[in-house]
Amino acid sequence: MKAGLLHYGRLLLSSFILFIVVITVLFFLLELAPGDPVQALVGDVPLTEEFRERIMAAYGLDKPLWERYLIYLGNVLRGDLGYSFATNAEPVLDIILSRAGNTLAIAMPSFILSTLGGIVLGSIAARTRKRWLDGGISGIAVGLFSIPNFWFGMLLIMVFSITLGWLPTHGKSPYGQPGIYWEYMVLPIITMATTELAYKARIARSAVIESLGQDYIDTARSKGLSSRRVLWRHALPNGLLPLVTVSGYSLGFILAGSVLVERVFGWPGMGLLFVDAIERKNNMVVLGITIMLTITIIIVNIITDVIYGIVDPRLRARLAPKQEVTT
Amino acid sequence: MTRQETRTTGPSSPAPDARTAPLAVRERSHGGQGAAWRAFLRRPSTLVFLPLVIIFVLVAVIGPFFVTDPVATSFPKLLPPSAEHPFGTDMLGRDYLARVVYGGQISLLVGFSVAVLCMTFGLIVGGLAGYFGGWIDTAMVKIAEFFQVLPGLVLALVAAAVLGSNIVIVGALLAITMWPGVGRIVRAEAMRISKLGYVESQKAAGFHSLRILWSDVIPNAMPPVLVATTMTVGRAILIESGLAYIGVGDPSNPSWGGLLNEAQSYMRDSWWLALLPGTCIFLVVLAVNMLGDALNDAFNPTIGRVK
Repeated sequence: MKAGLLHYGRLLLSSFILFIVVITVLFFLLELAPGDPVQALVGDVPLTEEFRERIMAAYGLDKPLWERYLIYLGNVLRGDLGYSFATNAEPVLDIILSRAGNTLAIAMPSFILSTLGGIVLGSIAARTRKRWLDGGISGIAVGLFSIPNFWFGMLLIMVFSITLGWLPTHGKSPYGQPGIYWEYMVLPIITMATTELAYKARIARSAVIESLGQDYIDTARSKGLSSRRVLWRHALPNGLLPLVTVSGYSLGFILAGSVLVERVFGWPGMGLLFVDAIERKNNMVVLGITIMLTITIIIVNIITDVIYGIVDPRLRARLAPKQEVTT
Repeated sequence: MTRQETRTTGPSSPAPDARTAPLAVRERSHGGQGAAWRAFLRRPSTLVFLPLVIIFVLVAVIGPFFVTDPVATSFPKLLPPSAEHPFGTDMLGRDYLARVVYGGQISLLVGFSVAVLCMTFGLIVGGLAGYFGGWIDTAMVKIAEFFQVLPGLVLALVAAAVLGSNIVIVGALLAITMWPGVGRIVRAEAMRISKLGYVESQKAAGFHSLRILWSDVIPNAMPPVLVATTMTVGRAILIESGLAYIGVGDPSNPSWGGLLNEAQSYMRDSWWLALLPGTCIFLVVLAVNMLGDALNDAFNPTIGRVK
């Protein structure tokens, strides 16, 4: 137990340091960016020097760089991501949270669909005796992750929205309507899920093939278990360990990919906000979104590690002897 | 730790190791790989996709001599594909075939140069990290972790917005964010190979570390590195196209992704604008990935199908 705690303590510490490094790199990178936050705040009107100084002082922009960095870092750790200068000094966190729900509404279904679909297709491909089925699934998987994801979305729009007229092309609801309508979610979710599904199917296939080759599978077979039971009870649980890691990272890829997918479908989530903020040099929002993304990925990584520790008996065993040494 | 231990136990039996060493080297680095290369070249997917990649490269290199000026707005706007304009014309009346050919130059150049840069960085840093361990190993693992937590696409977007978005900067950014992928593979291979008997015996015989790295570790690590590098070509083309689609890149010299950015507003009536550059990206990336798979299968025949 003590060894387990030590392991997770070190994991938390290194994640925290990584987080600080990410903030630091991005903060100084964005400091290099041309652009004038005060001008961005008031819009395209001439400024008096006195007014400028007042604004600079009000937002702490007159302080030296390193001091602003430390203040920003302190604020982030307290959950304050600063103010968006381009949009009437709204708090960045509020802007992001108002969009986060929209992104999650398509990202989470994509994550679940791609994980389940990937496992099922990968296992079928690994186990089937029909070469054409395996070849077909594997070939489609390579094909799907060779497609530029955003272009796949454009193709879906051209086929299902423009040609067939079944689904809307753009946005999350009919013009002026609040909320999210399901017709609008279908194509973005499919687009987001495809690449990840193909990737996971490949991983699942090779993982299951590898675990089907292990001795304990022969043991299970020789006990007379049905091949379905061998797959679901013996090969899959062990074979899917690598998929836990892959799934953890895939959530990060899906969220990062939302930048492209949301642009294709005009989906008003964090990805669109991010592109918009970059175009308008709205640095605090850019920084804020990147920080939120990083936190999400780090938390998912920690959860992945914990799940791994629970499901992987080898890891449990490796942690246990250490405990004898330390106590 | 383990390396230290094996080194201290090494000299106790130097003679048999030293005698078997040259044989092992020859076997591993030449005979085995030659057969694998022949197996690679005989694979059906190689026969299809290697020529495809070569055709795309040839078109990018010599195509510009055969097409019209890609920026001359001398034709009617938005003509669908025809005998005169096989790819149609775009919204400003430019020959789209010419634009796709020139766009391919950018996309392929980025893809291949990023992959070569990644392989070079990966071999150097990953090789040193895996062979020597210690601080350089820790540093590499941390850098790889950094790029795992901060997706390359996001970092490249931010950095390109700051540093300006010409194609050299985009390529450099992709190489910086993507090399740890190759580096980790080299590192794992270098760790494995440096513990092999004949490498241990070379160490015991006092060979210089860099010489062992160069003439034994790196050649033997090459198969998985080549697979990863091949895959990197495809991934770099994909990420570059995504960045260009969002508007990062040189708008007066658009890659395939840049053409798709322009095509977005014309999807309703001018399908060829979106369809053709995307198909090119898809075919090249597919070909490269299939070649990567074929390489992998040729060099790892053990990972095959279950009976």
